[in-house]
Amino acid sequence: MGFRLRQIDYTADGRRIARDREVAGDTLAIGRAGENDLHLPDLAVEPWHATLTAAGRRITVRAVGDRGFALDGRQVTEAVIDADAGAELRFGSTPVTISREADGMVLVEIEGAAQVRPDPADDKAGFALAAVMPGKRPLAWALFALILAVFLVLPIASHLTLAQDGTRVRAANATGHVIGDKAWNPGALSLAHHMLSNRCEACHVKPFQPVSSETCVACHRDVHDHAPAGRLAEARAPAGLGARVLQGVGHAFGHEGPGACIDCHVEHQGMKAMEAPRQQFCADCHAGLKDRLADTKLGDAADFGTLHPEFRASVVTNAETRQRSLVSLADHPHEDSGLTFSHRAHLDRMGGVARMAIDLGEARGLGHALDCADCHQRSPDGVGFRPIDMERDCEACHSLVFARVGGTFLKLRHGDVAQMEAQLSNMATPVTPLDDTRGRPGDFGASYANGGLYHARFTPGGAVARAMAPDGICGECHKPEMRGGKLAVRPVTQTARYLPDGWFDHEAHRQTRCAECHAAANSASASDVLLPRLAECRSCHLGEAASKPKIPSTCVMCHSYHTSRLAPALAVNIRRRQG
Amino acid sequence: MATRSAAPVGRANRPGAHESFLRHRRFRWLKIGLVLALLALAGFLFIPAAPGPYGGTWFGYTLGTIGALIIAWLALLGIRKRAMTRGRWSLKAWTSAHVWLGLALIVIATLHTGLRLGLNLATLAWTLMMLVILSGVYGISVYAALPASLSRGEGEQTQPEMVEGLRAIDRQLGDAAQPLPGTEAERVREAMAQSPFAAGLRRRLSGHAPDCATLAALAGLEGSQADPAALARVRSLLGRRRALLEKMRRQMQLRALLEVWLYVHIPLTVALIAALAAHIVSVFYYG
Repeated sequence: MGFRLRQIDYTADGRRIARDREVAGDTLAIGRAGENDLHLPDLAVEPWHATLTAAGRRITVRAVGDRGFALDGRQVTEAVIDADAGAELRFGSTPVTISREADGMVLVEIEGAAQVRPDPADDKAGFALAAVMPGKRPLAWALFALILAVFLVLPIASHLTLAQDGTRVRAANATGHVIGDKAWNPGALSLAHHMLSNRCEACHVKPFQPVSSETCVACHRDVHDHAPAGRLAEARAPAGLGARVLQGVGHAFGHEGPGACIDCHVEHQGMKAMEAPRQQFCADCHAGLKDRLADTKLGDAADFGTLHPEFRASVVTNAETRQRSLVSLADHPHEDSGLTFSHRAHLDRMGGVARMAIDLGEARGLGHALDCADCHQRSPDGVGFRPIDMERDCEACHSLVFARVGGTFLKLRHGDVAQMEAQLSNMATPVTPLDDTRGRPGDFGASYANGGLYHARFTPGGAVARAMAPDGICGECHKPEMRGGKLAVRPVTQTARYLPDGWFDHEAHRQTRCAECHAAANSASASDVLLPRLAECRSCHLGEAASKPKIPSTCVMCHSYHTSRLAPALAVNIRRRQG
Repeated sequence: MATRSAAPVGRANRPGAHESFLRHRRFRWLKIGLVLALLALAGFLFIPAAPGPYGGTWFGYTLGTIGALIIAWLALLGIRKRAMTRGRWSLKAWTSAHVWLGLALIVIATLHTGLRLGLNLATLAWTLMMLVILSGVYGISVYAALPASLSRGEGEQTQPEMVEGLRAIDRQLGDAAQPLPGTEAERVREAMAQSPFAAGLRRRLSGHAPDCATLAALAGLEGSQADPAALARVRSLLGRRRALLEKMRRQMQLRALLEVWLYVHIPLTVALIAALAAHIVSVFYYG
């Protein structure tokens, strides 16, 4: 009976070396201290760690101290093993194999270096950060794949599957929409298009194609062309070298070239009203239009401050035919409205009209010298003014009462010459003619009227002739004439809008006094066209690059590219939108 | 930043002396980068753009194209650096161009955005680019400032020497601790078992080791009843081990500071290329 201790080592070339040593007796002391039968120079082993007691096949292993040992991987402090079956024990970090030899000796095998010690430092590679960091490449490729998948593959795949059916893409009530293209949005859409924010494919119909004008017109059906395409092409200034290069590049990418909707209207510039096209877009053609379109009636224009023709007003040149023509304000136009009227007489603060208005007093809505608003009423939209209405705007002073019958008055009907003739010719005796004096209805006899301001001269017999005389009740405003053998007055035409193509808006100018633009106070004739000239507008408005206190005024402030004649209505719409 | 930080690295006035890649050919690439950036700025300020500056004007496209080409070329350094050559297109010239053109990119690409940033792919690309450039700027700074301290002041001991020194100390410790009783021996064993290279990124960057087992072992041996001669020997060895570990940690800290930016610079460069490709394709896809 005894123990055979076998130390197994390996040489550098892998050769196995076994050294045997025998210990007599039936107990074996195991520990780090040199005095032990089995000396394990392992710091994890107690100096006196355990004892092995052999009794035939039965071997009892008992730890000396608290620190146990492992039996087949299980931590114990005491164990009984069958030597024939064998077992692996582990003391500290040293494995010890127990078995029984044929001669009855208990074989205790210790494998590995005599001194088992953790090796903390393999080589200097540990100094590098790479020793503890995940590789750069896996991270890089993961990010690469993720970004391409989310931001490129997904939207394109989604768009391609959806674009199979073009109508579905464009239909306003389309259900499906492209997934993942939101990240492609370079900036918020304008207010007008904002509802399309999540439906990029509504405008971006074909891959690798800029938004086509056809797509815009699909919704904007009522937009008119500025001019026929051929004429536009003729009018456009030949592009410079740089612009030609850019156009070439644009065409290569499917851009429709000059005149496309997106040339002027640039989207994705933020959630606000779409910015007005710059004046350069207009100046491209209009700066030298006369050189390219010989037959044009338009003067060259490029910048309101520096190159703009004088305004041309639409004035009535013949009251009989009501014919209008556009006359430059530079040519001192005269309007044949059919009326006789002096603004000066009405606005003169020292004149008789002012006196009369003051005498009428505040109770009657006056009490002050007349000003513009006493006769001219703003149109409901604020853009312009309502036409003058004799009964509403003039008759308060210019009474048509011609006689008194008992307690009431007889009054001519405005606008009916035949009726006037009939009434005045047939004045009967009981009628009391209002000789020489005339006043506001109901004010007859008041002191101001006795001053003889008006002389209607309704004396019987010559009443009609007197009424039609230049200072008569009709003739002071109207021009009598014979038409078809009958007495008539010249047709009257009022001009609601002198600049029919312009977007001039009185509302925008309400802080300005009328007289600053309209020289009415010095106008003694109805034929005067009381419009401010270009130079007067320029006292506030200059071109696009104007700096304060001047107002930068691009073409689109007053002009419309797509529409005409609707300008005033549009001005209201735009004002409403800007709110 | 550039000239100042480059100063200690390059002493180019002596013929044959080392010339920093930053100062390469009297700052040739700094000048080229500056000219590019100034041209971009002048164009941004003086070329009228309607309805305001953004990437879609012709000048915006030009800046974007230049920026994308520069990014692609800069990224090629990762391939180019593996082949060292001399002369006009030497690796040093490439690196110099890489740095200065990369810095010019801050101006070019930012102006390309028209200063409009949002929650979109284009801004992702811009952000990635800025992170890459900033990490690169950090990289240049540490390259300029740290290698000197990496090579000197550690007792003229190289890194392999330190590793070998640690092994020698541990061999002696293993022997010296044999007479110690269980608890003390365990502490010594734990100290030896702890690899200095196990420290993670944060530990390495900070240079701190709050759970240093060697330090714990030194403390644990205080008041031990073990054989005083063995104890003194173990304590002395542990002291040397601790000093060596501190040196090694300092080396690891310097290496970490020198290398950490590449873990941002390189993966984000690859991510940037993906974002840029997606940005360019998307711009033309939705033309």
